[in-house]
Amino acid sequence: MSVRDLAVVTRFGGRLYWRDKVALSTSVALSLGLGIGMPLLMDRLGQGDPEFLVGTHVGVLVMILTIATFNQIAVTFTARRDQLLLKRMRATGLGDREILGGEIGNLVVQTTLLAAVVSVALYALTGLPVPRNPLLYLAAVVAGTAVLCLLGTAFTAAVPRTEVAGVMAMPFFLLAGVASGGFGPLLELLPGWVGAVLGLLPTEAVADLARTAYAADGSLAGDLRAAAVPVLVLAGWAAFGLLATARWFRWEPRRS
Amino acid sequence: MAAIEVDGLVKSHKGFEAVGGVSFTVGEGEVFALLGRNGAGKTTTVEVLAGFQRADAGTVRVLGLDPVKDRAQVRGRTGIMLQEAGFFPDLTVAQTVDAWRDFVSAPRPRGEALELAGLTAKAGTKVRQLSGGEKRRLDLALAVLNRPDVLFLDEPTTGMDPEARQRTWEVVRDLARRGTTVLLTTHYLEEAQRLASDMAVMDSGRIVASGGMAETLAARAGRVAFELPDGVSPGGLPVPVASVEGRTAVCRVADPDLAAQALLGWAGERGLRLRGLEVRTATLEDLFLDLAAGEGALAKAEAP
Repeated sequence: MSVRDLAVVTRFGGRLYWRDKVALSTSVALSLGLGIGMPLLMDRLGQGDPEFLVGTHVGVLVMILTIATFNQIAVTFTARRDQLLLKRMRATGLGDREILGGEIGNLVVQTTLLAAVVSVALYALTGLPVPRNPLLYLAAVVAGTAVLCLLGTAFTAAVPRTEVAGVMAMPFFLLAGVASGGFGPLLELLPGWVGAVLGLLPTEAVADLARTAYAADGSLAGDLRAAAVPVLVLAGWAAFGLLATARWFRWEPRRS
Repeated sequence: MAAIEVDGLVKSHKGFEAVGGVSFTVGEGEVFALLGRNGAGKTTTVEVLAGFQRADAGTVRVLGLDPVKDRAQVRGRTGIMLQEAGFFPDLTVAQTVDAWRDFVSAPRPRGEALELAGLTAKAGTKVRQLSGGEKRRLDLALAVLNRPDVLFLDEPTTGMDPEARQRTWEVVRDLARRGTTVLLTTHYLEEAQRLASDMAVMDSGRIVASGGMAETLAARAGRVAFELPDGVSPGGLPVPVASVEGRTAVCRVADPDLAAQALLGWAGERGLRLRGLEVRTATLEDLFLDLAAGEGALAKAEAP
């Protein structure tokens, strides 16, 4: 893996991202609207209980993380595959890992920035407290977005063509929302085993880590203990994403 | 050392044998043309050589390296103009070249690459506004950005206007003069004939004719054509007529100059004029037509 090439592709992806005013305004507006709007609404409706606010904030946050990483990269890579842009990039001296890893790096950076803007806006506008362990919160966002990007990359193997990439990725966003409580306390209406299964989603691992970071009481040792299981879950998903990408990722559209 | 070596290459796609046992070598600094109809297996051969596909059987070496296993090394020293590949449509020509300069090592300066492809005036134009031929030229600019030792050109001038085509030929000739090995696939026989010193004709995944361009063509029949004078039947001519197309009689002969002299002498004695007289040595088109007609003349075309 060449760090220089990885950085080059990340920077290139960032330039394309910031140049694309339409995609930028819609994806950023949606993320900010949802990520800031929902908790703000809850706060204004007088449900200013900090614990409830943290729950809403984290629930909505993992949803926008899913849209900005898993869904976004699934669409991006499917489109670039079908337009033979990945093939053209492969025709240069760039390695496969740098081409994919660079774009993943780009989305991790963009999405982490987005999460930072959302969080800071909420600290300023609502009664949401600043995380007790900000480093753990940051690590959860960075690791979570990286794993979601990897899974989105692997997912493109199942997507036959660009037009359906967005729709095919949508159920994962919905699942993430149901599991995290971003759509409200839906899990309470569902059988217990649903919650247990959805609890294994990578987005739930991120949510668990974030809730730990926000928890009012706790110590570093306690945080590390609480982080062990979510970190293992994320590591498992990361391994699955890597293996699936190595095994099934297609660089070109199917010929038949 | 040969820059490109292909030995017994076999490649199938889902049970369909696209390339069935192809062998050829291209020496350093040579321009080699791979010819054939659509579906003959040319692009598959190039894709295996460029490391995009793995050979099912046989060996392939580019600069002595395995294009799949040693991909990074091979890519660093080769340039590829793919038959079809996308661009980022909202980047300008200059931005595209700049981005690609970051992707290769020791790139040419942007101005040089644009100049070479004849795109200097289009530097500020978005790629989505380029014509098909201009996109091919941008493709060429990207392919030569890393000053490659080996250049793969898959249908390089498709969609170009005549001027751009001439310019591209000039670029290829210039690169070859500087020692770049070029493997070219093309539909345009004239293109192959003008650029390549060696060639192979593929059909249904196999090489059906190959050898040096000049020797191969010299071994073929030439062509003399003229308008049949009124009242003269093809049988009355001193040279056997191969075909009559409308009013035009076509003779296929080993020495077209000699045949033309004989015909002019014969016409002069009778006070006849041979209108529209055309005399030329064999072209690749003749070779193609012969191959298509299955004349069994392949042995003649095959290199010693």
